Formats: sequence, structure tokens, C-alpha cells
Amino acid sequence: MGGLIQNIKLIGADLPKLEALREKGRNSFLSQGLPTAKTEAWKYTRVRELADDDFVMEETCGSDCSKEHSSCCCQGKCALPFDAYEIHFCDGKLREDHFHLPEGVQALPLIDAVAENETTAFLNKSFEMQNFPFAALNTAYLEQGVFLRVESGVCLDKPLAFIHHSHGGVKRFANLRNIVVLETGAQATLIEVYQYSGEAKSEYCNNIVNEIFIGRQAVLRHYKIQSEALKAVHIALNAVKVRENGLYESFCRQKGANLARQETHVVLQESGAEAVVNAVYMMNGWATLDTTTDIEHLAQNTRSNQLVKGVVGGQAKGVFQGKIHIAPNAVQTEGYQLHKALLLSDEAEVDVKPELEIFADDVKCSHGATCGELDAEQLFYLQSRGIGAEEARQMLIEAFVDESFQMIKDDNIRHWMKSF
Amino acid sequence: MTAPLLEIEDLHARAGDKEIIKGFNLTINEGEVHAIMGPNGAGKSTLSYVLCGKPGYEIISGNVRFKGKDLLSMSIEERAREGLFLIMQYPVEIPGVPTTAFLKHAVNAIRLHRGEPELDTMEFIKMVRETGKSLGIDNEMLKRPVNVGFSGGEKKRMETLQMTVLKPDMAILDEADSGLDIDALKVVAEGVNALRNGKRSMLVITHYQRLLNYIVPDFVHVFANGHIVKSGNKNLALELEEKGYAEFIKDKA
Ligand SMILES: Nc1ncnc2c1ncn2[C@@H]1O[C@H](COP(=O)(O)OP(=O)(O)O)[C@@H](O)[C@H]1O
Ligand SMILES: [Mg+2]
Repeated sequence: MGGLIQNIKLIGADLPKLEALREKGRNSFLSQGLPTAKTEAWKYTRVRELADDDFVMEETCGSDCSKEHSSCCCQGKCALPFDAYEIHFCDGKLREDHFHLPEGVQALPLIDAVAENETTAFLNKSFEMQNFPFAALNTAYLEQGVFLRVESGVCLDKPLAFIHHSHGGVKRFANLRNIVVLETGAQATLIEVYQYSGEAKSEYCNNIVNEIFIGRQAVLRHYKIQSEALKAVHIALNAVKVRENGLYESFCRQKGANLARQETHVVLQESGAEAVVNAVYMMNGWATLDTTTDIEHLAQNTRSNQLVKGVVGGQAKGVFQGKIHIAPNAVQTEGYQLHKALLLSDEAEVDVKPELEIFADDVKCSHGATCGELDAEQLFYLQSRGIGAEEARQMLIEAFVDESFQMIKDDNIRHWMKSF
Repeated sequence: MTAPLLEIEDLHARAGDKEIIKGFNLTINEGEVHAIMGPNGAGKSTLSYVLCGKPGYEIISGNVRFKGKDLLSMSIEERAREGLFLIMQYPVEIPGVPTTAFLKHAVNAIRLHRGEPELDTMEFIKMVRETGKSLGIDNEMLKRPVNVGFSGGEKKRMETLQMTVLKPDMAILDEADSGLDIDALKVVAEGVNALRNGKRSMLVITHYQRLLNYIVPDFVHVFANGHIVKSGNKNLALELEEKGYAEFIKDKA
């Protein structure tokens, strides 16, 4: 079990507070261990792959190594088809340490931000380690990632994108921690892309924690594409806190990895706070793709909306666990959740666990789940007009997920996410 | 001399475990318009589905040749590409698939099969819009998902539009008049008549004679008990309108 706790040299060992936090992370992870079938929050998603002892936590080497990276890799290769501030990561390491962002937007490598005491109010402040074993593990290896702060009233003019390139080679386990702070009235669009540039069968693991703090009246739109290599593991937690009238809106498209979990935990702390958590996952083969959400309504007049659609073929498995918690004083809140799955084969599987915990009166709350196959009448109709069987199936699959993509208001981002 | 386009020989077919089509024979030559009339539940829709290859129907025995080729061994899309088209009694709604995109796929699949170059988007849009105009289908309707929220009349007009742009050699119209008021019926009938060209054949399935005032058939067949029990010219339809189907059902019972 200690296999994932390895004694490697991390940058920032001279920062006592950081070292202490890492130590807490190690202890928390060691006391929890990897989730098993008995771990309620993980009961549908097995993490056997990670029990193997051969994952390697890679040290970040000095400046000579970053040169190697800049020549090996993928700069430009996956540049977005629209204008954005791009920050590239290569095998879980930041490729540059200076970012060019407009005034009013501060972006630093996480370690620099810790050294400058920028992170005190935010680092490990958005989740409890004992509930998130992988976030605890992530804390043990705190080093890589970005600290981003958008100052009060500033509206970032272009999306900011974290673009991750992974390669084959060693069975690398990367831990990434980003902190995103939007001050009062700030607005930003954040994009995350995870993709591989090596062997399709590369085995590696990305373990990501994003801590997101949305101030009063601030708006963060957060788009993510998970397109990891076929045998990769991808575990991500978005831990979000939203203050008065703030909005967190996210859309995650998962299509890669053999095991992936996107967990989104939003705390709507003050009145008027709102969360929109949408997702689409599509896979074949033997993959397990897990979408887990937990929306906590702590204040009155808060709203949340979730639409998650999955397309599952082969022997793959989709998991959706969606929780809406409404605290006793959170009256006049609205929480909606809908999960729809399309099963393309007899052996495909979807496990759904909705949970509503409602402790307040005067709330509007609903959840729903559907699970079906491609409609035979629709397929016949398309084919009877000359459209080939496979093309007809693709059209219907696209039609099924289209409703979700329509939730993305920006045309460029919607087209890109749809066609990725 | 006209050549046979569709030849159905002693066809027996099941829907579920019930034999619906029992010894059906019919030959339709190029350019001919045949009407099939029969009581509700006779198996008219079943016949049209069997011809188009809809899953869920089992052929027990018999042969069907289309342009001399074995129709029953073709996939659904092959039949369509060979030139068979069905106006469905109940066109299905397909949310999320825009009508224009769907039609473009269909047109190009069929053109490809015929060895014609694919149409680019501009050419295609122009053609569909022009065709739509004559059928009272505006651009707004074309942008909507296939049949979603369309009224009964709109659905049938959309089916007629599809038929017009796909230019089939043989069109089967399954109750093209059901649920239509007289104006909508005229629009659909005009669209259908515009396609009559001496080469293209049609099989017009209907319960009522009314439609045949507008789409005048060369032959009329009475379909009961799973096969044709009587054939004649257009006057047979008038006769049926008067007397109903009772004598045919009773005859066999
Ligand atoms: N898929 C099916 N399974 C079982 N019975 C069917 C099926 N489709 C049609 N039938 C039955 O076959 C008969 C003929 O139906 P149909 O072809 O729709 O008649 P029509 O179009 O002449 O009104 C009816 O009794 C109907 O209930
Ligand atoms: Mg019928």
C-alpha cells in the first residue's frame, strides 16, 4: 500500500509550512489507504490499477531538464483553435514558469505562490483530506500546478487554458494542484485539456486537485476535456466554494483513460450562489468513467443544475454519483440533477447513485436518471433514407449528447469540445 | 414495353409470432401507380415495412425482386440507395438531428451509390429550399430537428420533401393522407404527382378512396386476409368507398 508514498525530492523542501502540509497529506493517505469496494464514495469504481506497486513519482529536475522538455514536446501541437492564454504541462510538470497574462490577473507556479505566502488562505482550504484519499495523496506531493488570481472586477479577456501532454515511458504518477481565485466581480474562463502524445497504450496516472474560490458576483466558466491514453488513470477533484451571487459553471467531457473519475464538490456558501455542473462521457472498451458530484447548498436562494450524459459501449462502465445537500437554513433553493445514459452494447454498464439530502423546507429539488439503447425506430428511419447503419448510429449518438453541448454558450468552445 | 420494377411472389411474413402477409403477389411495372386499399389491421403497413427491411418482421417464404435484384437480401440502406422510398404512416421524431443535416447525409449517400458527385452544402441548401417552397416548408422548419414538434400535416409534407430530393424509382406511400385536412392533402398529392414521370412507380396505400381523387392510380387492389383479394382500375376504389370492406373480410372468414 505504501507503494504510492515514495521518498522523492520535491521542490520547496525549504518551506516549513509546505513540508508540514505534505506530511499531513502523507499521513492522511496512509491512514485511509486506497479506496476499496467498502468505501462508500467509491463503491462502483475500482482502482485496482493503482494497487500495483510499479507507479513512479517523478522528481522535477533542474533547469537542464526543462530544456529537454521544450524540445521533446508538443508546443503548438495541441494549441487551441481559438485565442487563449495557454499554459502547458508536460508529463505533469509545468513547462514554463512565467506566464503572460493581462494586468489584474496573477498567475504563478504553485511553489512560487506558496513561497510568497499567496496561498495561505486557499491551499487545502476547499476540502477535507479524510474524505478524499487522492486529494490527500495529492497533498503529499504538492509541487506542480498554478496559482491564479483574478483581481476584483477584472474580466479575463480570453480563456486561460491548462494544456497537459502526457507521454509513454515510465509508469508515471503525476500530482497536480491548481488554485483559482476570483475576487469580487471577477470573470474568467478556464480550460483544461488532458491528452497524450505518445503510445495510445501508455500507462500513467494524473491526479489533479483544483481548488476554486469564487468571490461575490464573480463568474468562472470551467471547461475540461479528458482525453488521456487508453490505459491511463485520471483522477480529478474540483473543490469549489462560491460566495454571494457568484457562479461556477462547468462542463467536462470525458472520452479517454481506462479509469477516470471527475469529482466535483461545490459549496454554495452564501445567498444567490449558483453552480452548473454538466458533463458528457463517452467510451468503449473496458474503461470505467466516473462522474461524481456533491453540491452543498448552505445558504438561501442558491441554485444548482446538473445534466450528465453518458454513452457507454463495449464492456465499459459508466458511474454517476450525484449528491445534492440542502442545509436547514438554505430555504428557497433550487437543485436539479439529471443523468441520462445510452448503452450501446449488452455488456456495457451504468451505475447511478443519486442522493438528495434536504433539511430545509421551501426548496425545489429534483433528480432523475434514464438509461436506454439507441432507438430502433429512429435507426430504421435514418437507414430507410439511405444512411448507412454505422453512420445512422453515430448521428443518433451525437444527437443524444447534443443537448448537453448546447449548454456551452460560447460557439468556439462548444464546437471545439464537441469535435475533440 | 415497360419493364417490371417490383415483383412480389407468394410472400409470407410474420410480425412477432403472427403471420400477417399470407401469399401476397403483385408486380409493378415502371411508371405504374398502384393503390392498395384495405381495412385497418389488414397488414398494409406490415407489407411496406417488410419491403423496406424494417427489423422485427420475419419473412417466412416468397421472393421479392426490385429492378431484377433480390430485394429481401439487401440491408435497409441498400434498398433505399437502390431507389426504394417509403412515406411512413407515422414518421418518427428524432430530437437532436437537424432536418437539413439529416437530408444532406441521405442525399449524398444515395448520390454516392449512383456514382454521382456529392453535393456541397451550398448546392444542397439551395435545392432543399426550393423544393421546400413548393411544399410550404420554410427554412425555419428545415432547421428544426427531424419531425420534432411537427403537426401531422407538416410531417407528411416533410416526407414528400424527402421523397422529392431523394428521387426514388419506387415510392411507397403508407396512408399519406391520414390526419390531413383537404388543403394539406392537396399539397402532398401535388408533390407526389410532380414526381410521376412515366418511369417512376408508386404504391399508394390507403384506407380511404379520397386520396385517390388526387393521386389517380392505374390499378387498385383490395388487400384483406394478408393478400390481394381483388384487383381493378380506379373505379374499384369508388366501389369500395360505397360498399366498404365487409364483403372481402366476410368472404374469407
Ligand atoms: N411488430 C408487430 N408485432 C406483432 N403484431 C404486429 C406487429 N406489427 C403489426 N402487427 C399486427 O399486424 C396486423 C397488421 O398491422 P398493420 O400492418 O399495421 O395494419 P394496417 O397498416 O393495414 O392497418 C395488426 O393486427 C397488428 O396488430
Ligand atoms: Mg397502417
